[in-house]
Amino acid sequence: MKSRDVFSYSFSAIKLRKLRAGLTTLGVVIGIAAIVALLSITQGLQATITEQLQTSFATDTLIVSAGGGLGAGIGGRTGADSGFRLLINYTQMINGLSPNITTSIAIIQRAGFIKSGNITRVTTIVGVDFAEYSDIYSSTFVNETGNIPLIPTNETVVVGKRISDPWKNATLFCSADDDVEIKWTNATVIPAKNETHTGHVAAVLKEIGGFGVGPSDFSVYIPISKAQSFFGTDECDMIIVKLKNDDKAMIDSVSEAIKEAFSNEASVTSATAVLNILSSVFSVIELFLAGIAAISLLVAGIGIMNIMIVSLMERTREIGILKALGMKSRTVLLVFLSESVIIGLIGAAIGIASGWVLANVVARVFRGGGGVFMGGNQAATGAGAVGMTITPVLTPTVFLGALVFGVGVSVIFALYPAWRASKLKPVEALRYE
Amino acid sequence: MAAIVQAVNLKKTYMLGKVPVNALRGVNLKVESGDFLAVLGPSGSGKSTLLNLIGALDKPTEGKMLIEGVDVSTLSDNQLADLRRRVGFVFQFFNLIPRFTAKENVELSMSIADMSRAERRKQAEDLLETVGLKERMNHKPAELSGGEQQRVAIARALANTPRFLLMDEPTGNIDSKTANEIMGLIKRINDEKDVTIIMVTHDQRLASQAKKTVQMVDGVITREVVN
Repeated sequence: MKSRDVFSYSFSAIKLRKLRAGLTTLGVVIGIAAIVALLSITQGLQATITEQLQTSFATDTLIVSAGGGLGAGIGGRTGADSGFRLLINYTQMINGLSPNITTSIAIIQRAGFIKSGNITRVTTIVGVDFAEYSDIYSSTFVNETGNIPLIPTNETVVVGKRISDPWKNATLFCSADDDVEIKWTNATVIPAKNETHTGHVAAVLKEIGGFGVGPSDFSVYIPISKAQSFFGTDECDMIIVKLKNDDKAMIDSVSEAIKEAFSNEASVTSATAVLNILSSVFSVIELFLAGIAAISLLVAGIGIMNIMIVSLMERTREIGILKALGMKSRTVLLVFLSESVIIGLIGAAIGIASGWVLANVVARVFRGGGGVFMGGNQAATGAGAVGMTITPVLTPTVFLGALVFGVGVSVIFALYPAWRASKLKPVEALRYE
Repeated sequence: MAAIVQAVNLKKTYMLGKVPVNALRGVNLKVESGDFLAVLGPSGSGKSTLLNLIGALDKPTEGKMLIEGVDVSTLSDNQLADLRRRVGFVFQFFNLIPRFTAKENVELSMSIADMSRAERRKQAEDLLETVGLKERMNHKPAELSGGEQQRVAIARALANTPRFLLMDEPTGNIDSKTANEIMGLIKRINDEKDVTIIMVTHDQRLASQAKKTVQMVDGVITREVVN
């Protein structure tokens, strides 16, 4: 029997039991849709985060922090268990370590509050050298209103877009030329002491979006010298090292040189390393989510097997007729497997389309609801949500994988009933009532 | 004349649960090309079992079943399937595929034999015309009478130009008037198309219309009559 005739025969059998075939296919549709939706959203999220990291986290920079790695560094306080302290004036020493280093700047940051009028908001207070910070983050540390002074006074304050306009409407919390109060709680003394500094907003930054270790929409920036006195420390949370370019070999050699200079007590993190970690984390998440979704497909597979066995019993006499007419056992097997291939193909195709629609609906809902709640740093997380636009990604791998998986599961679960059908003896099958 | 079918001391034993049933107990039979043989016998005499063995639907327990000189018991499953394509079966209960039209049912056996679509369409139309169903070829079995369904089954049995037709009570499920028409058709096929026919029946009147009759009782042939 020709392949086309086998498929045509199988299709006629499916058409005869439309509702049953429809419900069986629905199982595959749900399984595949779940896989496609979860993977497209996860991959879209990964793409968005990676893109935003690459934007805000300049790839030609290294971040030096005191032990504990980047996580501890951006958390606010340095977390070296060994007692190692990363001092602000280490920047000069770092600058001399390699000719590939263009410059380096120290950053001090604390969770705190900003008060304008009668309203107080949570924020991250960041002390930086405005001139060098502008140089490193030339695309993100950019003023929207006012001016960022390269030689600031002690009172100079630059605020992120979401500090100035937290509600995303015409009501501003503060704007350029406003006086604001900046507060933080010094918990290193007993009893804890509230420190207040009155500053003058020199500029409001352009909206950055996303998150990273660079400038944030939710931070308040003060000169590094003021931060030293305000926070009462000569220690910094991290030192950003700007390199001549983002060549991987150079990044590695400079990283090693810095680690050696600090006797391996400082952590050196590059954007590439963070992206790699992120990629690994997302791979695990994808695998986990796809695994959960795959369970529903396995349930669908068991449904297919069940239906096929019922179909086999109902069609035993038909199989007897086919064999009496000269159909070979192999062809009977193919007839049954073709039915599962058709169900798998239709289920997978509808499942992929539904999954894609579902992913887009979910992405739209998230967008409409103010974005994914992922803060740039601790304080920013507390301050509010970063509006993140997730664009679901349906890669050819996911598309083909879902198709193959849908058809594969259908065929695997149909193997046993198909094999049983092929092994029926014609005389017994013809006698079957 | 050469024997197209030859049974030599043919025995078939079934297991009915744990009880062995000797359906055939040493049948010797020779059918020559162009014959119209009626196998007559009461229910349980083993005539359908004999027909199944002649049609390569089953293998004998003992003895030889030679089809065109080839012993069926030596053939593999695939070879048996190939052999069945050269045999036309007509069953008492028609055994048509209910979802297919008359034409599609006739086409099915040709499709199994790998015939091209255009060729089998034409052949199916010609065969349905031969059995007098040209006007009803696009009807499904449920829309056809018993006699019409049996005509479709005969057309299907003739589809792959078989050397012989095996008929198991072909008129057992239709009224006597239609049964006569069907018998007329069967005789015409035997005469005009020179197709050998082996028909199983318990009806003495029908058996007498064949060229030769064998009587079966308790798994053996007890009498052979040339009509």
